[in-house]
Amino acid sequence: MTQRLIERRIRWSGRLTAAGLIVQMLTLLATHPLAFICFAMVGCPLVGAGILVFLYSLVEHQAV
Amino acid sequence: MGGTTTILIFFTAMVALLGLFTSMRPEFTAARGGKIMAFVALCILPVLSVWAGFHEQVERSTSTQFCLSCHVMSSFGKSLTVDDKSFIPAAHFQNNFVPRDHACFTCHTDYTMFGDYKAKWRGVHHVIVQYFGKIPKPEDIKLYTPYNNRECLHCHAGARSYEEASSHHKTPDMLAKAASNQLSCTSSGCHDIVHNVGDLGDATFWTPKADPQ
Repeated sequence: MTQRLIERRIRWSGRLTAAGLIVQMLTLLATHPLAFICFAMVGCPLVGAGILVFLYSLVEHQAV
Repeated sequence: MGGTTTILIFFTAMVALLGLFTSMRPEFTAARGGKIMAFVALCILPVLSVWAGFHEQVERSTSTQFCLSCHVMSSFGKSLTVDDKSFIPAAHFQNNFVPRDHACFTCHTDYTMFGDYKAKWRGVHHVIVQYFGKIPKPEDIKLYTPYNNRECLHCHAGARSYEEASSHHKTPDMLAKAASNQLSCTSSGCHDIVHNVGDLGDATFWTPKADPQ
């Protein structure tokens, strides 16, 4: 049960991180203020959320 | 697209693929090795990728191309090629007194994200106005605060042409006043022709020669 929960969280973490990195990759294709804003306000928060979900899954797994 | 950008895009793509792989096969994290790999794939590499991407984006945001990519700035870009050396930005741009590919940020060092939090917010606000707001006429665009002599002096201070120019010794304390920002270089009737985008209608323009390389 616990293993299934951690796997589900890792699945979400991977998706969020990959989505954020894809946004970042796309913003690197253009030199434009909008690309910068997308990088900072969409890409970075998605990657950050992915990392946090992953770390949370580890911490909670340890606590259990 | 430069070599660094290509490498960065490739690296980001690889890290994204690794993240996707981890999300599709999370069961391998049950083993110790899998946990370590997941930590690298979902923590270490994304942080590295974001850090490198941020560095690249900051570097790009200082480029002339970045500043002039908003339509409203095109007149300011045009003012850099006016065939009249009394236009201060044009004289600096055309004679390589500032690097052409980073011309704007060389003289506006405290602009948008390189300034304080207010400047950063203004940068975001400019982007919002560009897409959702009422874009002002180029001639109505003014600096938020008076131009600081610091921007001139970080190159000119100590230069012989600046220190010994007779026009800079009209009064004994002229240089001291300029250094302390009490006497503005650009708005004291001396170097007061700056971008003047409203006066570009009848101007002639200089065309840079193509790079021989």
